Amino acid sequence: MKPDAAKREVEELRQRGTIIDLVDLNGQCYALTAVEAAVPPWDSETYEVAIAVPAAYDNAGLDGFYLRLPYKWNDKDHPRVNGSVIDIKSAQWKLVSWHYADGKSWKRGQDCLETHIIHCKGFFMHRGARNDYR
Amino acid sequence: MTTVNLRIAQRHWEELRAHVSRSFRGSSREELGAIGLIGEVHSQGKRELTVSRILMPSLSDIRFSGEGGLVFDSSYIRRAHLEMRRERLAGIVTFHTHPFSDQRVAFSPYDDSQDPKLIANLKELEPSTKLLSIVLGKRSQCGRLWHEPSQYVRANRLIIVGENMEFLPLAGTPPLPMPNPAATFDRAQALTGSGALARLGEMRIAVVGASGTGCLVAELLARTGCRRLMLFDDDIVRDVNLNRILYATTDDADRRRLKVDVLKRGIESLGLGCKVEAVAGNILEKHVIRQLREADFIFGCVDRAYPRLLLCQHSFRYLIPYIDVGSEVGGDKLGIVSLTSRASYVAPFRHCLQCTGIVTPRHLHLESLTWEEQMRVIALGYSEDLIMKKPAVMDLNMRAASLGVMILRHLLQPFLINVPITLSENLVTFAMLSIDKARAENENCDLCRVNPQYGYGDCGDDLGLDSEVVRLITEPKASQ
Repeated sequence: MKPDAAKREVEELRQRGTIIDLVDLNGQCYALTAVEAAVPPWDSETYEVAIAVPAAYDNAGLDGFYLRLPYKWNDKDHPRVNGSVIDIKSAQWKLVSWHYADGKSWKRGQDCLETHIIHCKGFFMHRGARNDYR
Repeated sequence: MTTVNLRIAQRHWEELRAHVSRSFRGSSREELGAIGLIGEVHSQGKRELTVSRILMPSLSDIRFSGEGGLVFDSSYIRRAHLEMRRERLAGIVTFHTHPFSDQRVAFSPYDDSQDPKLIANLKELEPSTKLLSIVLGKRSQCGRLWHEPSQYVRANRLIIVGENMEFLPLAGTPPLPMPNPAATFDRAQALTGSGALARLGEMRIAVVGASGTGCLVAELLARTGCRRLMLFDDDIVRDVNLNRILYATTDDADRRRLKVDVLKRGIESLGLGCKVEAVAGNILEKHVIRQLREADFIFGCVDRAYPRLLLCQHSFRYLIPYIDVGSEVGGDKLGIVSLTSRASYVAPFRHCLQCTGIVTPRHLHLESLTWEEQMRVIALGYSEDLIMKKPAVMDLNMRAASLGVMILRHLLQPFLINVPITLSENLVTFAMLSIDKARAENENCDLCRVNPQYGYGDCGDDLGLDSEVVRLITEPKASQ
C-alpha cells in the first residue's frame, strides 16, 4: 500500500534528480534511496536505505530506516544497526536504531520524505555520536 | 429534506457580527455585509452547510453602502467564486444587514429580485454553485439557500461552535421557547436549564469507543437527557473486560456479542427515551468515519493516537465539537507516580490533540505501520513506552467520563469561567488542573492552525483508510 502523499513526494524528488523508489512488501510501503557516507569509518561512499512509510503518511510521520547489507563500519558492525532483517528486492536490509529525539520530533506539515532522508544521512556522517563508539 | 442548517465557528461569527455592528448603532445606519465560502454535508440524516472562511471586504469591495442598500463590487463576488471553484467548495454565502431590524428580520423585495440574478450568474460559471443568502437583524437572522434562480430552500438553524455551542433560528424570528424537559431530569436543572436540556435531547451525540470509558460516557449522556446516541466500536465483549463494560454479562462474552450491541441493549432498557444507533466498525476506516457526519457532537473514548488524530481532523473539517476523554496511570519499578483522568476539548480555533501533546508523532508513526513492521520496531526496544498497556481502571475512567460530560453541559449552558484545553484531575496529589498551554504547539500545524480544508465538510478529501489497510495495521497476518 503506497500512500498518496508519499507517491506525490517521490515524484517531486525524482523530478529534482533524486533516485528514489517506493516498494510494497506485504502491505508495508518502503521508500528506497541512497545516501552518502563518510569513508572512513564507513566502507562505502554510498549506502542504500529503506524507509518504512506508514499507511497514514503524511498524517503519521517517518522514523528510523533499514540499511542494505552488507556494510562495514570501522571494519565491524555499527552498534545502532541492531534491528530485524527483512528482504526487499532480493537483498537483505537491517533496521537501524536512528530515531528522532523527544526534543526534536517529527513536525506535521513541515517534515517530509526529503527532510527524513537528510535526518538519515546524519547517521553516516563522521560526527555527532562518534565519541560514544570510539 | 426541505431545510438546511448552517454551521459556523464562533470566531467567524463574532468577527462577522463585529464587522456589521455599525449597522445597528448611531444615526447613519448603513447596510453592511461580507461574503464567505461554504462546504456542504449531505448525508442520509443531515443537510448542513459549513462556513469555511469569511472574506472580509475592503473598501473597494463595496460598490455602494447606505441606508437604502448594499451592493458588493463584482470583483469581490468574482474573487470569492474563483476561490470557491479552485478549492472545490460547495458555494458562497452572502451576509448583509437590515439596520432597522432588531428581533425580526426578513428579505426585502430588492433581495428577492437580486438573489436569483446572482445565483444565475454564478451557475453560468460553475453549475454546481450554491448560494446561501443571509440577512442580519440586530438580534435575528434569516437565511435561504438558492440552487436555481427559481428555487430556494429555507435555512433552518445557525449552529455556532467554539467556546460554547449556540443554536439560533435562521427564520428571522426570535428563538422559540424551549419545551420543559421530562420530569425525570427536573433535578438536573439546578445545573443545566430546560433550554439546554431540550437542546441536548435534540442533538445526536456520537461516542467513539464502547469499552471501559465509552460505556460510562454513554450511560452518563443517557442519564443527562440525551435522546439520540451513536456508538462506534468493532470489538466484542470478552471475559477480561466484564469488570468494566456496563451491562456486559458472561453470556455476552460466551456468545462474542459486540460491545456496541450490548451497550445499546442496556441503555435502551433504562426507559429514559434514549435511542441508540450501534455502529460496528473501526473509526479508522473511511466508510465508518463517514458515518460520524451524522453526529452533532463527538466523544472520543479511544486509547490510540491515530483515531484521536482522525477525530480532530473530522472536528475541524465538519465544525463538530469533540471531547477526548482518557486516563493515564504512570509508574516505574518503585510504584505509581501519577494517576490522571482528563477530558480535552477540541473545536474550531482551539488546539488539536497533537499540539496539546496528547497525540505524539512517535505513536502515530508506530500505529500506522503494518503489524509486522510494528513488531520489528518494538523489538528494537526503544519504544516500550509506546506499547504499555492502557489503564483499565473503572473508577479512574469514571472520573474522566464525568469531566467530559460536565464540559458538554457547560458548552450548552456555560458555568465554567472558560473551557481549558484539558481539564485534568491528578489523583495522587488530589489536584484539579486546568491546562491552558498547548505544550507541543506548532504554529504551522495543518490541523488546527493553518488547516487548508477547514470547514470543507464533504468537499474535502476522504478521511480514514481503506478497510484492507486498517486490517494490515491492526491485525497480524493469519499465517503468523
